[in-house]
Amino acid sequence: MRQVQVKKCTCTADVSGVCSALFELGGMVVIHDPSGCNSTYNTHDEPRWYDRDSLIFISGLSEMDALEGNDDKFIADIEDAAGSLHPAFIVLVRSPIPMMTGTDFEAIAGIVQEETGIPTFYVPTDGMHSYIEGAGRALEEIVRLAPEIAGKMPQEPAAVPKRDLADRCRSGVNLQIGTDGRRLRVNLLGVTPLDFSIGTSLLSMKEFLRQAGFDSACCLAMDTGLPEIAAMGGADVNLVVSTAGLPAARFLKDKYGTPYVVGMPCGFFSKVLAEQLHRAAAGEAGGVCLLPDPGIKPGEKSYIVGEPVICSSIARALALESGNFYPRVICPIQVPDRLRLPDVIYAESEEELEPLLGQAGVVIADPLMKTFCGRGTLFIHLPHEACSGRMFRAGIPDLVRDCPQRILKAPVWRQMS
Amino acid sequence: MYQIAVYGKGGIGKSTTVSNIAAVLSGRGLRVLQVGCDPKADSTSLLCGGQPAPAILDLLREGKKNLQPDQIIKTGFNGVLCAETGGPAPGRGCAGRGILTAFEVLKKSGAFDACRPDLVIYDVLGDVVCGGFTAPMRGGFARQVFIVTSGENMSIHAAANIGLAVQDFQKRGYASLGGLILNRRDVKNEDAKVQELADDLDTEIVGSLPRSSLVPEAEERRQTVVQAFAGSPMARQYEVLAQAVLEKTGL
Repeated sequence: MRQVQVKKCTCTADVSGVCSALFELGGMVVIHDPSGCNSTYNTHDEPRWYDRDSLIFISGLSEMDALEGNDDKFIADIEDAAGSLHPAFIVLVRSPIPMMTGTDFEAIAGIVQEETGIPTFYVPTDGMHSYIEGAGRALEEIVRLAPEIAGKMPQEPAAVPKRDLADRCRSGVNLQIGTDGRRLRVNLLGVTPLDFSIGTSLLSMKEFLRQAGFDSACCLAMDTGLPEIAAMGGADVNLVVSTAGLPAARFLKDKYGTPYVVGMPCGFFSKVLAEQLHRAAAGEAGGVCLLPDPGIKPGEKSYIVGEPVICSSIARALALESGNFYPRVICPIQVPDRLRLPDVIYAESEEELEPLLGQAGVVIADPLMKTFCGRGTLFIHLPHEACSGRMFRAGIPDLVRDCPQRILKAPVWRQMS
Repeated sequence: MYQIAVYGKGGIGKSTTVSNIAAVLSGRGLRVLQVGCDPKADSTSLLCGGQPAPAILDLLREGKKNLQPDQIIKTGFNGVLCAETGGPAPGRGCAGRGILTAFEVLKKSGAFDACRPDLVIYDVLGDVVCGGFTAPMRGGFARQVFIVTSGENMSIHAAANIGLAVQDFQKRGYASLGGLILNRRDVKNEDAKVQELADDLDTEIVGSLPRSSLVPEAEERRQTVVQAFAGSPMARQYEVLAQAVLEKTGL
């Protein structure tokens, strides 16, 4: 039987991807779904859930409401909550049941916006695609609408029950646009805990920019606020550090002409990436730099498995540091064709993964992927929040600062090299 | 591009009326796209000699992906562009969801950009029985709805329901009610009954069609009246109706 997942765990889905992308921005996320418990979408793979307030709600769609298309109740509940919380924006998120019944979210968003005066939009998820699709769409949409939303935000903090959110959104205090007028300003795109968790990876990316002579403008979307996002069009170049950042990068390129570079800084690859940023800012390659060719052939039956941009960057760092050996990238996550990178093996199904990993010599992957590997495979753990959630969170490394070195120091890697 | 949707009770003559309007307007030089929104997938049959456009859901069922305009659009009589949503087999699945999926495919295929129609006419199954059947009147699709009815009580009842649904959805920015099309069955007080309905719905009778034996005769030939009996009094009636609909669109 094809497309049945017996061994492979399902990665985080699109609805959770939206929640993760917008978690810190002071907007109210409303998932139209029967589930009465937020854990379905937000606890297992949302590390911020436990120590930060959120504005994520689930409608509690009943069978009769679905059957009768009782959208008025849904609208009334949203407007009631918004009246108390005064969110900066409202986003409606679709789950499988309203997808099947054909609920018209665009129309509902229009009504809510008109009746509350709060910018409201809809992200067309259906619970059946990966977080990359959901987060990518949400980030693109918030970048598109942030100038309008930020313009409507009150001067005083809204009555959002999360003080740090409101503070951040209030006056653009995190805006880090350079003041000397000479350093290039760089936005980081595609940063969510689903790919980077909540360790020090983000700080390390910002440190990379600083050391490479750039100013970090906005990080989409962690440790940032709507005013910073609204000002993203003023940056000199965008750095797309995960696939989820690609739609927003393309939007910014179309709207503001901002060039973008795809890649995550790590190890020796950081230097290459810094050069790429300068080239892109200078308009080379039409302002779009994908990951460069490593210049050597990949190792036989050696793979790194996970998010394509992150894993491709680590693979290139390993190529540069070893000089003769690097793993091929396998992406087991559903990624739409329009967001796929060259030189990545997209193997979503077990039928595709088994022949690759079952015969592999060395595999770098989330521990849950080990089940595909044969007895002779040398396995290096690289936990991924969107794959195993909180199970191995403590083992998620600083992807920027520590990852290549950690792999290089692993006994199995030395054995292979 | 202007889009309209035509609703009405099952069997009232929507597809025949729409096909004749499309044939008339296409013959006058407009680029017209007719989209059948019925699981039976036979809206465009008369325009295509009994062989309607391939149904989008049939193509999906066959496993075809990334459908392109030339796979889902067939050119019929007088150059009318024809498409059919199709739907699940009778008694199975969800026809409303089928319409929604077909509309997503239609948009995604780039058919509107490729064909650049001046006028799109959605020929919609029977009544607005569920959310899926509102798809043609939602934002981004039809801007006006026309309802075909006779003076028969069941037809008027169905038309009233459709009219109320259209009014109810105004707040959502859906299509407005363009008017009624009277397809006569020669029942008692037919004009007065349909006029009363128009008054109740605060709309007008855009045009009326007499009962004519030429309509079933043309259907026997698998053609529109405009094609089979060009120049006939009934063909002239369709021309008058097409002109009235066209004037409502402002094209």
